[in-house]
Amino acid sequence: MARITLKDVAKFYGDAQVLFDCNLEIADHEFVVLVGPSGSGKTTLLRIIAGLEHISAGDLYFDDRRVNDVDVADRDIAMVFQNYGLYPHMSVYENMAFGLRRRKIPASEIDRRVRGAAEMLNMAAYLQRRPRQLSGGQRQRVALGRAIVREPAVFLLDEPLSNLDAHLRVQMRAEILRVHRAVTATAVYVTHDQIEAMTMGDRIVVMHEGRIQQVGTPDELYDAPANRFVASFIGTPAMGFIEATLEGEGDRAELVVPGLRLNLAEPQRKALARSGARQVSIGIRPERLVLGDDPSADWRVAGTVDVVEMLGSEQYVHFSTEAGSLTARVSRDHPLKVQESVTFSGAAQHLHLFDRETGKTLA
Amino acid sequence: MSDRRQQDGPRRFTLGKAVQYLAIAFGLFWSLAPVYWMLATSFKTELEATRIDPTLVPLEPTLANYIGLGGQSLPFFAFFFNSILSCLATAAIAVVIATPAAYALSRARFRLRGTVSYAILVFRMLPLVVMLAPLYLLLLNLHLLDSIGGLVVGFTTFGLPFAVWMMKSFIDAVPIEVEEAARVDGYPRWQILLRVVTPLIMPGILTTATFVFMEAWNNLIYPLTFMTTMEKQTLPAALVLTFTGQFKTDWGGMMAAATVTTLPLMIAFFAVQRSMVRGLTSGAVAGA
Repeated sequence: MARITLKDVAKFYGDAQVLFDCNLEIADHEFVVLVGPSGSGKTTLLRIIAGLEHISAGDLYFDDRRVNDVDVADRDIAMVFQNYGLYPHMSVYENMAFGLRRRKIPASEIDRRVRGAAEMLNMAAYLQRRPRQLSGGQRQRVALGRAIVREPAVFLLDEPLSNLDAHLRVQMRAEILRVHRAVTATAVYVTHDQIEAMTMGDRIVVMHEGRIQQVGTPDELYDAPANRFVASFIGTPAMGFIEATLEGEGDRAELVVPGLRLNLAEPQRKALARSGARQVSIGIRPERLVLGDDPSADWRVAGTVDVVEMLGSEQYVHFSTEAGSLTARVSRDHPLKVQESVTFSGAAQHLHLFDRETGKTLA
Repeated sequence: MSDRRQQDGPRRFTLGKAVQYLAIAFGLFWSLAPVYWMLATSFKTELEATRIDPTLVPLEPTLANYIGLGGQSLPFFAFFFNSILSCLATAAIAVVIATPAAYALSRARFRLRGTVSYAILVFRMLPLVVMLAPLYLLLLNLHLLDSIGGLVVGFTTFGLPFAVWMMKSFIDAVPIEVEEAARVDGYPRWQILLRVVTPLIMPGILTTATFVFMEAWNNLIYPLTFMTTMEKQTLPAALVLTFTGQFKTDWGGMMAAATVTTLPLMIAFFAVQRSMVRGLTSGAVAGA
């Protein structure tokens, strides 16, 4: 078991810096997900924790022990790779036992652990097979099994589900969480899929362009994103944005948006006034747009339907307004057609305000 | 594919195809005619082999030339053994040295890696003759002239650069995650090379060893230069030295010996043919 601490961790490849001042504390037993788009540095950060990449600057601690220069073999970690990284010339049994043999664990104990892990992952019938004789899901289970038998202090998983089909991915998500509960190791999980992050992580670390953007529980990230990037990255369908300008000074300042009537809540007004930002992006989550022109609503927005995505139980309606495009989640009881004029309304407290220049959350 | 053929109807014999087949036929004839001539002559009597109007098929086929190889006058089997021993040793030493060297060039990040790689390649481009004098002096000082050991040193100097480059391409094709998994499992580099990488590149090792073996087997100039005792000579060199006299050449005997000389090469080639093709094309397509 281990607590992981990163202090001002940076990584350079030659002159190119790929990680900037990463600070993070991961509690013992915690399941933390690193999420971000391709090239955000999440895999590099995971590989630094693993010891597969050298730290250019900053410190990494496992509990109170600085492990910057500790070899990967001595970090007491287990890792599941994106492409499984199984040994093709060994049976499933040997794949799982290989790491244990290195640690001079008695054969009877190795056998007990391998069979136990295989049992846990429903792979007991495949122990003598080679990886090439297994399906993608089974290979991923072997990779998981190989990590489990090691009984490591830290579990590292690098996009382990990205090669699986959608159905299997959902199944394996539950499986990984079940395994994590059973082994109670600290787990760091990398994915570019925000749904995976939201459903699996105790806490989520959102990364973008080599920087940690926000660390928080799924609820915190969804309800109080730190900046426009986090707001747009977390949530499906993504948050929509319209652009606004702050006019007037002090308490009389008003956000002006073409085609939108807007009454901001008092805390939002104050926050706007404090920030001094003139160019503002307003973010609205699709489920916060209520179909219809409700006179008592804080804001109303009119537009024309561009695309309707039918999902069975509900539909995603993408529509254009004068100030930008938005997406709304609408019950299928209200059939909408392309080119139809629509009006949506909602409460001011559900609007997210961002400084358009810095992207930071204003309110 | 089959659907398209059906749509096209019977394949038409175009001029392009005709030229293609002609070129293939010419290529086959060019390569196989000497082989046939060697085989046919090896079954001819001495008289028939030297006729002014040569025969295509032996008129009176005889095994006398082959039986003669085992005769008392010529230590043919000693030549054969010398060749097998020196070439097998060369192939073995070359892959044993080339594998870790190629692994370092493939995986390690160090200054001058590219320079070292190309220096090895440039060494390979030198003609055999250029190496002759320095090698001769080296073997002389090491007291390895006229010995199988010296011959192996000579063969290896020329086979090794090729082996390193070939092995490097095989190691490049091994997914890095497999090695990283072994590092996480706690294995040091040399054990990863031995227990993870080597089994995965076994087809490559066999292919490389076969190429080095064949090249050493066909090497004529080193044995002719470094070996002085007839009994220690390799087979190809012995063929030149023993069957060609001042006044007469024993064509039948030489062709029988040549046939036996090419046999190990043929056997080696066919034994590893499948893995050789796989080896040479590995990494050419994604997922290979």
